[in-house]
Amino acid sequence: MLQKIASNYVVKTIVRRLFTVLIVVTLTFFIIRALPGNPIDVFVYRLMDGGMSEEEARQRATVLFRIDLNAPLGVQYVEYMGNLLKGDLGDSYVVAQGEPVMKLVMANMPWTLFSVGTALILSFIIGMFLGMLAAYRRNTWIDHLITNLGAAIDSIPNTLTAIILILLVGVIWKLVPVAQMRGAFSPGMKPGFTLEFIWDVLKHWAWPGSIYVLTAVGGWMLAMRSSTLSALGDDYVTVARARGLPDMRILTAYVGRNASLPLVTSLAISLGFVVGGSVLIEGIFQYRGVGILLGKAIGSRDYPVMQGILLVTTITVIISTALADVLYGWLDPRVRVSGNQED
Amino acid sequence: METTTKTPGVPTLSIQNLTVSYQAKRGAVQAVRNITLDIQRGEALALIGESGSGKTTMGLSLVRLLPSNASISQGRLIYRRVDAGKPVREIDVLALKTDELRQYRWKECAMVFQAALNAFNPVLKISEQFADTSKAHGYIQGKALEERAFHLLKLVRLEPSRVWNGYAHELSGGMRQRVLIALSLLLEPQLIILDEPTTALDILTQRNIMNVLKDLRTQLDFSLIFISHDLSLAAELADRVATMYAGEIVELSDVYTTFKNPLHPYTIGLIHAVPTLAAHRDNVTSIPGSPPDLINMPTGCKFHPRCPLADERCKRDDPTLETVETVNGAEHKVACWHWKSARAKLTSER
Repeated sequence: MLQKIASNYVVKTIVRRLFTVLIVVTLTFFIIRALPGNPIDVFVYRLMDGGMSEEEARQRATVLFRIDLNAPLGVQYVEYMGNLLKGDLGDSYVVAQGEPVMKLVMANMPWTLFSVGTALILSFIIGMFLGMLAAYRRNTWIDHLITNLGAAIDSIPNTLTAIILILLVGVIWKLVPVAQMRGAFSPGMKPGFTLEFIWDVLKHWAWPGSIYVLTAVGGWMLAMRSSTLSALGDDYVTVARARGLPDMRILTAYVGRNASLPLVTSLAISLGFVVGGSVLIEGIFQYRGVGILLGKAIGSRDYPVMQGILLVTTITVIISTALADVLYGWLDPRVRVSGNQED
Repeated sequence: METTTKTPGVPTLSIQNLTVSYQAKRGAVQAVRNITLDIQRGEALALIGESGSGKTTMGLSLVRLLPSNASISQGRLIYRRVDAGKPVREIDVLALKTDELRQYRWKECAMVFQAALNAFNPVLKISEQFADTSKAHGYIQGKALEERAFHLLKLVRLEPSRVWNGYAHELSGGMRQRVLIALSLLLEPQLIILDEPTTALDILTQRNIMNVLKDLRTQLDFSLIFISHDLSLAAELADRVATMYAGEIVELSDVYTTFKNPLHPYTIGLIHAVPTLAAHRDNVTSIPGSPPDLINMPTGCKFHPRCPLADERCKRDDPTLETVETVNGAEHKVACWHWKSARAKLTSER
């Protein structure tokens, strides 16, 4: 009986999530195609900018692209969904002509996961630590410093902070060779698991990565500070002190564990969005990844690539929120679903 | 359990001239003023008074758990550990260093809080919280701990196996309170402070907890400070009663005398404010006015603005707590200029 309910719950959840994916795919399919301009137009305008006549440009475009944009949308949709069911995301129109979208995404994904994922987790850890420190040192200069800095960083758009820092550190003070630090690794470097290559990658990551950490840490810090303060005011912390527990045990298992609960959900959701890339790292620093690919795809109206990346993002966000649910239930016994498969 | 021989004249805790003040924006709030009190071995002392009379502050200062804006501005706390066959060990509580203080808490003096509903960490099992407490004091672990905890949980009339592996949110309010009481007994402290242990519980649960406490008193050997605003509960559990008003003890006597022959107008007022089955509804009277502002305290006797007997002397001079009689070896102390006539006057008026 219990088994039945549990499996029912799981089945229901999965079905609901699949339904979400279906809706997102459908909506993005039509919204993308409703954008002004199509891949051929964009290509033609680009050629015309280069001094070609429209006639000539159109002819070249038809030769290059063997795609039929005139088929009714409904037909295109059914065809796309059919391919999707077979696991085929289609081929790129413009960005990398003829390349399967799946292959493109897979080639860029590791870079994004590495650059944005590492930076996100780092900023989360540092933010938790500083937030707890501020809460424990409430109303001291450390707290004031952390809180004000955190609020300032958090309220300025991170791209703006990045540009200001590049200007100051890279251009005016010339402390970092910004131009050489563009991209994921130095030109001419041969990718592979060599020490030299890994070192080069880390070096290239350090600059955009640390700026990302710096800009993201503010939010985590403030959130952790306020939830630590609220945990510190909870009765069980006072009782733990009365019980004579060591401060370290109270800090970790009593204050820390309870204070981090609300942040875990935010982290899981943020992790889901990592695969969408980061404008900061990939846009400003030209770091290789899904974000750049998406930017290019939008610029040239490469429908299958746009659609493919959005689909992957949707799925990871859905998976990570599901993961957050499970994780939260594991961390907080109060929200465990009754009839859960645990124990 | 073996009862240690009571050593007369060696109180478990001596409170000497204890004064606690809170730092507020308007000035210093004197929550506890110059209290001197001995808690005898094995006795149960009830601390009664209105909200804001300084009962809880006093309880907290005994384990030095005052909030950061409060400080003990004067006084001494001497705790005496008596182990069978060993000399009495004196501990100057206010002089304890951080780690010594940590060891003193719960091992020597456990405090069961008012808000026991949230006394347990919601993300740890009850068993883990017993283990935490035990480990912090280098006490038993594992199977031995489980056996001892089960024994204690049975003492507070809980089904140990149901509670042990559960979380606090799975227990009712009364169960949580009893688990906390069991936990307070874990390290065999000599002194337990119960701060309104039955507030926020329904009347039946309250009854149940009171029975558990009375049971424990007969079975185990510990001193008890019972903080309550409920006189009937105090009457049931306590050997002696101390009435607090505006941070001071205004009357102290054995429980029988407190109810039979109260001498301070405030104590008399408190007793009259309790409805009884036998008394007519009209005979229940509350004390007019409200507790004084602890920052700008009235001159003279702090109770005079609310006291029907107040005269010029009461407004001018503050009476001290003095022994007025000795009943069955217990001193009856009161701080009032009119203690001789208060009871007669206040009772005949009604």
